[in-house]
Amino acid sequence: MTVLSVKDVTVRFGGLIANDAISFDVSEGMLAAVIGPNGAGKTTLFNVISGAMEPTSGTVYFNGELITGLPQYEVSQKGLVRTYQLVQLFKDLSVRANIMTGFHRVTKGGVLAALLRPRWFMEQEARIASRTEELLDFVGLRAVADMEADKLPYGQQRLLEVARALAAEPSLLLLDEPAAGLNIQETAALADVIERVNRQGVAVVLVEHDMQLVMQIAQKIVVIDFGRKIAEGSPAQIKAHPEVIAAYLGGTEGLDD
Amino acid sequence: MTSLNITSTNSKLMDAVRTVVVPVAVVFAVLGIALTSSGYVVTLIGFAAIYGVFCTGLNFFMGYTGQASFGQNAFAALGGYGSAVLTANYYWDPVLALLVSMVLSGVIAAAVGYPTLRLRGHYLAMATFALGLITYEISIEWNSLTQGYMGLSGIPPLGMGKYELVNEKHQLIVLTLVMLLGVWVSVRLRDSRFGRALRAIAGSEAAANALGINVARYKLAAFVVAAVYASVAGSLFAHFVGFISPEVFGASMVILSFTMLYLGGVGTTWGPIIGALIVSLLPEVLRGLKEMQDVVYSVVLIAILIFAPRGLSGLTVLFQRKQTGPDV
Amino acid sequence: MIDLTQILQSLVNGVGVGLIYGLVGIGFCVIYNASGIVNFAQGVFVMLGGMVCHTLLTRLGMPLIVAAILSVPVVAGIGMIIEICVVRPMWNRGAALFAIILATIATQIMIERITILTLGDQPRTFQEFTLGGPLKIANIAISYQLFWILGCGALMVLLLFLFFTKTKAGRALRACSQNREAAALLGIPVHHMLLLSFALSAGLGAVAGILVTPTQYTAFNVGTPFGVNGFIAAIIGGFGSAGGALAGGVLLGVAQAAAIVVFGAGFKNVAALSMLLVVLLVFPQGIFSAFKGGGKGH
Repeated sequence: MTVLSVKDVTVRFGGLIANDAISFDVSEGMLAAVIGPNGAGKTTLFNVISGAMEPTSGTVYFNGELITGLPQYEVSQKGLVRTYQLVQLFKDLSVRANIMTGFHRVTKGGVLAALLRPRWFMEQEARIASRTEELLDFVGLRAVADMEADKLPYGQQRLLEVARALAAEPSLLLLDEPAAGLNIQETAALADVIERVNRQGVAVVLVEHDMQLVMQIAQKIVVIDFGRKIAEGSPAQIKAHPEVIAAYLGGTEGLDD
Repeated sequence: MTSLNITSTNSKLMDAVRTVVVPVAVVFAVLGIALTSSGYVVTLIGFAAIYGVFCTGLNFFMGYTGQASFGQNAFAALGGYGSAVLTANYYWDPVLALLVSMVLSGVIAAAVGYPTLRLRGHYLAMATFALGLITYEISIEWNSLTQGYMGLSGIPPLGMGKYELVNEKHQLIVLTLVMLLGVWVSVRLRDSRFGRALRAIAGSEAAANALGINVARYKLAAFVVAAVYASVAGSLFAHFVGFISPEVFGASMVILSFTMLYLGGVGTTWGPIIGALIVSLLPEVLRGLKEMQDVVYSVVLIAILIFAPRGLSGLTVLFQRKQTGPDV
Repeated sequence: MIDLTQILQSLVNGVGVGLIYGLVGIGFCVIYNASGIVNFAQGVFVMLGGMVCHTLLTRLGMPLIVAAILSVPVVAGIGMIIEICVVRPMWNRGAALFAIILATIATQIMIERITILTLGDQPRTFQEFTLGGPLKIANIAISYQLFWILGCGALMVLLLFLFFTKTKAGRALRACSQNREAAALLGIPVHHMLLLSFALSAGLGAVAGILVTPTQYTAFNVGTPFGVNGFIAAIIGGFGSAGGALAGGVLLGVAQAAAIVVFGAGFKNVAALSMLLVVLLVFPQGIFSAFKGGGKGH
């Protein structure tokens, strides 16, 4: 089953072509990565996939449904959750509270339910509470559950963001440069969490610069340069791909670092 | 693990005492003092209760969603004039009139909020401020309905069916109960999926969107909630005082309510109430400065905005469960 | 029956008051462009311009021209005091935008009250700059004050243009409005720019106030309507150029005049506010933003 199907997505900003007819598929439960030099158009691609932006042309299918042109929250409601390059935590809320907001999509109840608190609502709240504890354990943040999210070290903030996204029970998780700003230990912890998430059956697409992380955990890699897809394949294939090597020559990142 | 359980049960109890029992006890203590004092004090505390309702609504919108609205007084005017006209001119039952005005305010808030809340920053600020100015103008111009500058008098006191609360002190009790009900409702809403969605929006609209929250719809819902609170406050004012005029719901209401909200602490449960109480009692404290009152209010507000932008939370932290508490 | 003369007369009046709105609107733009702050106390400068001028006239017996010219720096000074005492501390503490807006609203109220306490609450006025009957063109009266307003308005725009293009401070202010961080990196003292923008806005407001007082009156509370209308003018103009704000002001003044003729005097403010909401919701970039020259807004 193809979870995500990107077909010929092109994004033009005036004369600048940010994405040029990019196509690739992500199958169920896959862990894929999108890499490329800075400015290659990766975040733009993410914005198109997640619904934050409409492409100039091209389509995106999610679980067989056409999602191009839908507002972002509708795309998210279908189970496609993304995170941002700069961690977007709810700063004034505790770690626990942050995760609890993630359940929005898989729960129901508005003003009336909040006021009257019928039985199903209370049971739902209990489920949310216990599931939150599970997620806290999953990412290893149980010890800091009551701390203000703002006060966490950056690496843990990242993990919190992932936990919060997981609360929404996504079938596809888009992570925009999750390792950015993390040190070696934090990146290792992140890699571990991402792999475990993937093993639970959630498809993951990463945008990343950290080659080691990508090579280590990704099953499929899509390489973008100047808005075009220049390669697609397994880590081994990508490492040896001549165009990819050429694109990275001159940069400070080697593929075998 | 057992020791952990005992501690957490104890701390839950302590939390409940801190955040519910103590504040409610304080409220009833104040009520008790007011009931045994002169009519003047009763009036002051009554105003505090009414503004407490207004500010709780304002706090809901601004504190929990992080949006700015400088025009809630428009809905207070709607509530006030709605109740006044229905009860004084058409002899409606006050409670029914209050409910109808609430619904009317909610509907208008939804209609007006829909396009307005798409604005941001100062555009939103000005648009909401304009709402208040517009209702002010309309209440002056629509003479046949509102008697313009002269205002509407002869508004019957609160009552239901055959009962009329003629005694001011009885009215004060009802006002206090309504205020407590307002706080209870706002806490219920806050500690729920609805409230969490709102606070997500305040935290980061981008992340809220990414988690499937329909940001526009929830902002609008919060706006309507705040408008309904304002409407109730307006209706209560009309019945408590028996007379309203355009000035009552004018710009001074905006400044007063913001001063109260900031003084007490934005985004806290009891902050609006504490702020309303303190600011209502300020005239007593500043008795000698009669004409300078507005100047002092402004100076106080400015000072708070500069030095303690989230309000004197030092006061309220004694009473409130922090937003980062257990079952947020 | 509404006759042509009535309409034309009201249009003429509308243009006059609209130019005043435009001047106030330019004041909004200057501060906004330099800092992103909307100074909701702008209207109070209009009030102070008229009041200070009147006070200098009557209490100190100065001739009108001297009083008028002196009032401007006095009010500009008050603007600077506001910046230093209210805005700067909040700015330095990274206060939220709407907190600053709220503070400016509170400042406006505070200044109005202080004015009542010191100068009393009676409306007052002073004579037109050039005495003598209005100019009559085919039954339409154009008061001499209108020419003064036109002339001074044009003069202000010219002076502003020269300031922003030819002087170092003006160019620095423009740089600040385009990109504050880059300007800071270039060594432009951003804090001074903020102070300068407040002084400039206050001065503009004062000029507007002095010009308009002979046509109506001045009192502690004339600030708010001019502030609101000036803001609307700035929004219509797109918060960009001085020309846009002026054009926006004139459009507003004319719309108001038309509303008075058609609906009656009470609807002046309703017309203005409705226009505001329409523009905010339908033309968020302002109607005249297409004609923006230099001085890009945020």
